[in-house]
Amino acid sequence: MHDITGSLGDVLQRQLELAAQNYEFLKGKGVRAINVMGAIGSGKTELILRMAEKLRERGLRVGAIAGDVAGDDDYQRFRAAGLPALQINTGDQCHLDAHQVGHALEDFPLDEVDVVFIENVGNLVCPADFPLGTDMDLVVISVTEGDDMVRKHPKIFAQTDVVAINKVDLAAFVGVDPERIASDYRKVNPHGKVVFTDARSGRGVEELLSALGF
Amino acid sequence: MHEYSLAQSILSALLEYAKAHPLPGRVKKVHLRKGELLILSEWALREAFSILSEGTEFSGAELAIENVPVRVRCPSCGYEGNARYLAEEGWHLAVPVLSCPQCGERVELLSGKELAIVGLSVEEAPAETKN
Repeated sequence: MHDITGSLGDVLQRQLELAAQNYEFLKGKGVRAINVMGAIGSGKTELILRMAEKLRERGLRVGAIAGDVAGDDDYQRFRAAGLPALQINTGDQCHLDAHQVGHALEDFPLDEVDVVFIENVGNLVCPADFPLGTDMDLVVISVTEGDDMVRKHPKIFAQTDVVAINKVDLAAFVGVDPERIASDYRKVNPHGKVVFTDARSGRGVEELLSALGF
Repeated sequence: MHEYSLAQSILSALLEYAKAHPLPGRVKKVHLRKGELLILSEWALREAFSILSEGTEFSGAELAIENVPVRVRCPSCGYEGNARYLAEEGWHLAVPVLSCPQCGERVELLSGKELAIVGLSVEEAPAETKN
């Protein structure tokens, strides 16, 4: 047997380089970007809309990029709210990657915004392995997913610094204790910030914005 | 399920390497180093690689995957080394925590998200092994 050793390449290195390029590109345009991750139906779009409202009240210009396997429902909701928006269809890929986002940023009217929310594909696994070059990452969990979400997907929470536990108004109806989710999260990420939200009523949205550094 | 796209990236990198460095024989193993912060199924990666590599010179090669512990650096106390792992009962998975094992402050990630090809084991062709 003949052994060949030495670096033949890192297949994720290219993703990291593209993410770094996106980061620099956004910095150059003076735009802050937030990668919003979370399961399907956790309330990512609604929370983005509520955060956008509050930020616009403060005089900031906000845009959104919607990432979905198919369809443009989220994009339509962003447009209806008057946000500059763009849809990325991943064509069955379960996550956004820095390459797709890089192209989207080239097409996006970045000169018209100060903040851009990038809504990832609904998924708690793959998006964690593909940094996009954003300033902050946010994971949204809804209480209706059950109180075991952090225990089922610990690695994405271990590396995400802000978590919104959404739909807290429904917690009693589905027999979930939001504090249990929060305490699991604090175990895997002692330095993370956790905020209870109810996007529909707007509860917790101001706290979430300050956790994101706004 | 990003295992397929990553298996394809591994295969592309291997084919490119083999084009520039002709291999002395059949490839038995492809050695990989995988960071433990990645959320990647080894089983699915092997399966994807075996299917995608069919018909190429890497067909039948096994992926030998070495898991690499997450390494961190603490800006507060200067600790540099492996991350602390949290192994809660019932989780069935040790989770790297980005908190200093020495002083408990927030740490920077040094490595843990790599998926690197670090070598090949090649069975030399009989004609070449004799002389």
